[in-house]
Amino acid sequence: MSALFALQGVSVDLPLASGLAALLPGGGPRLNLLEDISLEIGSSEIVGLVGESGSGKTTLARAMLGLTPISGGTMQFQGKAVGPRGSFTALRRHAAMAFQDPVASLSPRMRVGALLTEPYAIHAIPKAERRSAADLLAEVGLSAQLASRYPGELSGGQARRVCVARALALQPALMVADEPTAGLDVSVQGEVLNLMTGLRASLGLSLLIISHNLAMLRHVSDRIAILYLGRMVEQGPTAAVFAAPLHPYTRSLIASEPQPDPRRRRADLAIRGEIPSVLQRPKGCVFHTRCPIAADFCATTKPEMRQLAPGRLVRCHLAQLT
Amino acid sequence: MSGGLLEVEALSVAYQRGPGPAVEALRGVSLSAQTGEVVGIVGESGSGKSTLAAALIGLMAPAAQVTGGSIRLRGMDLADLSADQMRALRGREIAMVFQDPMTSFNPVIPLGQQLVDYQHNLQGPSRAQKRQRAVAMLARVGISDAVACMGRFPHELSGGMRQRAAVAAALLMTPSVLVADEPTTALDVTMEAQVLHLLRELRRDYHGAIIVVTHHLGVIGELCDRVYVMYAGQVVEQALVDDIYHAPRHPYTAALIACDPGSLARLTPVLPTIPGRPPDLAPPPKGCAFAPRCGLAMDLCRTTPPPRVQVSPTQSALCHRVQG
Repeated sequence: MSALFALQGVSVDLPLASGLAALLPGGGPRLNLLEDISLEIGSSEIVGLVGESGSGKTTLARAMLGLTPISGGTMQFQGKAVGPRGSFTALRRHAAMAFQDPVASLSPRMRVGALLTEPYAIHAIPKAERRSAADLLAEVGLSAQLASRYPGELSGGQARRVCVARALALQPALMVADEPTAGLDVSVQGEVLNLMTGLRASLGLSLLIISHNLAMLRHVSDRIAILYLGRMVEQGPTAAVFAAPLHPYTRSLIASEPQPDPRRRRADLAIRGEIPSVLQRPKGCVFHTRCPIAADFCATTKPEMRQLAPGRLVRCHLAQLT
Repeated sequence: MSGGLLEVEALSVAYQRGPGPAVEALRGVSLSAQTGEVVGIVGESGSGKSTLAAALIGLMAPAAQVTGGSIRLRGMDLADLSADQMRALRGREIAMVFQDPMTSFNPVIPLGQQLVDYQHNLQGPSRAQKRQRAVAMLARVGISDAVACMGRFPHELSGGMRQRAAVAAALLMTPSVLVADEPTTALDVTMEAQVLHLLRELRRDYHGAIIVVTHHLGVIGELCDRVYVMYAGQVVEQALVDDIYHAPRHPYTAALIACDPGSLARLTPVLPTIPGRPPDLAPPPKGCAFAPRCGLAMDLCRTTPPPRVQVSPTQSALCHRVQG
């Protein structure tokens, strides 16, 4: 199976200096946000991307869709290069993003109906291939009457669905959903996720779901990738990663999830301290400052991504299959 | 049910906004909290849990009006107090930790100065002693360089640090009731675990009641002793935390737990949901508010308000279908 979207060694740097320093040869100091990120998304596959705030999840999603320029590595969509050496036009026609804040990503001065059909105008889609706003709303389980409302008049769950409907207007092959359940009640969360996973079955859509809700990703994703401070630390099939996480960070994350069952209360903390700032990225392994099993060389030597089993990758000196 | 530390009895609150019927946000809510107890209030958006939290500390929106019932702290009715008396009570007797502490600290004053100012009503200690108390409290909530932290502005702290500082600020006056409104919602899972751990530690050496308002069942499971489940402005079920999770009696409680991906034992690619939406509360429905979404609803449920059925000394549910 060839990948629908493939990232190979992608890195993202942002210029740190402003003013005159930015005009220096070489552009002055740069802040490294992502380094050596490789990820493949197969067709009709659901990949979960996990990490704490500041781990670079959203930056990666933006880089994939060309909203943030990449400074190294290559990206391929449907076998063709995109990014600095390719064009984003084809990508933007076939890949869509549902942003983290649904209300903020909908123009407040446009009615829902106009928002939904705007992508057709942007990509000059022939009239015959366009779908009506009512049709798109029906696909996400909303009433056609909503087409005449403004985004401010929608509930959180409705706004989320409108964003999904707009992302679907161009019948994309890939949808990137940034925190699709943030701010939603548990009873509504399921509806939004079932809607997206249902589209995989009916349209063959591939999904990249960015979230810190591990319990949810465990149920809906085929594979998960875990980011920590701009580095991919683990990647593998969801069931295998949850059954036996390889990276100590993944282990801590899974063990930190609050348990609704009071009989399974966490006795002790799985992880202490906080994610360091990207301005003070630890040397060696980025996780060594919080790692429960760190050895001396972890503070000095960068670990490389290693494959321990088919499809199971980990960036840790000490990880081993159990 | 008298002699408790905090007793809320049949509290009703309505919002009157513009013409038309008022939104009945709280409808006859009763709850109690004892010293040394962690009480959870769980519900989805619009259930009235934030209105209840605001009412407890006497900081309701101007449009909100108490239309019935009472809140008693050690037998004293809060409605009888003047604004000055209430202000004296707030902080000293009832303190609150908000969801986003960025908005509860003053952004242009260093944290340390704010922590000293919070002790304004404390007679006795000098300013230097108050500073010492603030440093000790910051260290107590797990801030490693407490002295340096005193000189920082709120925006210089991370989300987790700010929430710890907010807990420290709330505990400075050793209040007898601490209300925490969504204390971990703004935090990442690893920081959430740490703040939950902190609150659990504090309950051991802090002699007061902690009331946690949340929509997150994980927070309830990890932290609370007793739970009130709210729906459409009413407490639909109350029970010990173990009974809420393992033996819920109200269909809404059962459905809410079933929806939480964290409580699903088996992998389910299609997540369970509760079909429908909560009802409009202006005015509230005649019968049971949950009836339109309830799998067990019968004709009676749609026409007649449900009774509160006491199933055990510690558990009750507001439902026609529940047998005592």
